[in-house]
Amino acid sequence: MKSRKALWFWYSLLGLIVFLTVFSSVLAPFGSNEMNMDEVYSAPSGDHWLGTDHLGRDVFTRLLEGGRVTLAVAGGSVILSLIIGIVYGGISGYLGGVIDTVMMRLLEALITIPSLVIILAFQVFMQGGMWSMALIIGLTGWLVTARIVRSEFIRLKEAEFVKMAKMFGTPVWKILWGHLLRNSVPAIFVITLFNFAAAIFTEVSLSFLGIGIPPAIPSWGNMLYYAQNDILIGAWWIALFPGIMIFMTILSINFIGEAWKDPERRRVND
Amino acid sequence: MTAKWVGKRMAMGIVVLLIVSFLSFFIMQAAPGDPAAAFYGGNAQTLTTAEKERITHAFALDQPVAYRYVAWLRETVKGNFGTSYKEGRPVSTILMERLPNTLLLFCATMFFIIAGSIWLGTVAGMKEGSIWDRGLSIFSIATSSIPAFWLGILFIYFFSVSVGILPSSGSSDVSGHGGLLDTIRHLIMPASVLILTHVGIYARFLQEGIKKENRQYYVKVARANGVKEAIIRKGIMRNAAIPYLNYIAITIPSFFGGSIIVESLFGWSGLGQLTVKAVVTKDFPLLMGSVMITGVIVVISLFILDLIMYAMDPKLRKGGVR
Repeated sequence: MKSRKALWFWYSLLGLIVFLTVFSSVLAPFGSNEMNMDEVYSAPSGDHWLGTDHLGRDVFTRLLEGGRVTLAVAGGSVILSLIIGIVYGGISGYLGGVIDTVMMRLLEALITIPSLVIILAFQVFMQGGMWSMALIIGLTGWLVTARIVRSEFIRLKEAEFVKMAKMFGTPVWKILWGHLLRNSVPAIFVITLFNFAAAIFTEVSLSFLGIGIPPAIPSWGNMLYYAQNDILIGAWWIALFPGIMIFMTILSINFIGEAWKDPERRRVND
Repeated sequence: MTAKWVGKRMAMGIVVLLIVSFLSFFIMQAAPGDPAAAFYGGNAQTLTTAEKERITHAFALDQPVAYRYVAWLRETVKGNFGTSYKEGRPVSTILMERLPNTLLLFCATMFFIIAGSIWLGTVAGMKEGSIWDRGLSIFSIATSSIPAFWLGILFIYFFSVSVGILPSSGSSDVSGHGGLLDTIRHLIMPASVLILTHVGIYARFLQEGIKKENRQYYVKVARANGVKEAIIRKGIMRNAAIPYLNYIAITIPSFFGGSIIVESLFGWSGLGQLTVKAVVTKDFPLLMGSVMITGVIVVISLFILDLIMYAMDPKLRKGGVR
């Protein structure tokens, strides 16, 4: 079908973005903090493909370097929230009963809190580097993962093959790891993709507010932080390109996630 | 029955607020910031040790955290959020100044998002396979991939810098006597940025729900029996509306988070901008106050949505919980 071809397009776009950012130090034409006061706010040209910013730094270079930071923060936070979510959801779903009820009530309460507000509270005392940023986003981003893992575990633990395995005396860890977790992978994968997109959004938003990653480190959010002033004097290129990169990254993640979600949904309905 | 249900929901809301206050209080207590420095700003170095101790004592910062939390809670229940470190005014006064603006932005955007998504979602969902159906799917994925504040920056560039028809920031003109029309002029950009980036995803959820209902057996039977299309539609809408409302309820917290950022970008003097300022200046009582008031707004919105769902869903009325 045509959606298959479209999916490959999104895979390649995401792959290209990751490639460009990971190898940014080799591919970038300038140093990310290389200032040139003679070329402040120069518009896109042959020398500086995407123009320069208020310190004469090359926007294209910072775009690649910043992407690496943004994607690394998002990736790190997603791994953390994945671990917490699987452990929390797994315990809740496998044990069931009163423990499950209590854990789920707590989760419901936590979901009600705008996570950005809690992140802001964290930021008061943790304005560190990019890894503390990843830590904070990870610590607040595991709620939906936990919910999905729990419902998968509840569904699977009633399945024939798990009951069979229990009957034959398979050790608990083997059931948890080999039967329950491995069969939940498709669902967990989808939610992790969307979590990744959400983590990018969070990093970008916080850095944009000036309370995320320290300004010295380029990230897509930090670039946009300065862009909000630059735009007023008409330097549109500083704002436009980081935004486009964010947009394309999230867009491809969303399309990939949608494609993976669909067969999943059909299976659940049958 | 109903009274019991309402009581239960309200109790849950209070529990949520307690958890919010507990979490944020203890997280912020770990902050290394010096309250004396926050209070006196750049002049903090000139203070003697005795003076610093006096300030610490005045804010009860020499007491254990648990004690301070209980003391804070006791005062907060009475409506006293303490005094802002930075401005030296009661936090509740500052919050009350900002609250109307935030509520205005929140209600205006939510109204258009809900109205727009119901309209788009219904049109697209009822005509499965049509251009509306496919178009909305793509539109919603595309718009929900745009960071709202970035769209805001582009809007500022276009409407304020290039064309110059809309103000780039603020919630009223400098004099503050612009009247309703002026407020609306300032509201247009932040509101439309939030609406554009959110309407699609909500519409899509309703669209999927309607499509799913449309395939159900009861709809086929009703069609085969020659039930009027208008009545069938009503039935479908009723059944698709519950998960849709539930989805709004789940996403309201994150929507609120997004509006904090948009408020900051457009200098909309609401709670969001205030919260960010409080973080930057490490103004602890002010931050606690704005976190709590945000929590209250979210809890109340969820309660209203719950009431609507309760009225619509007979299953809930018979004693089930969402």
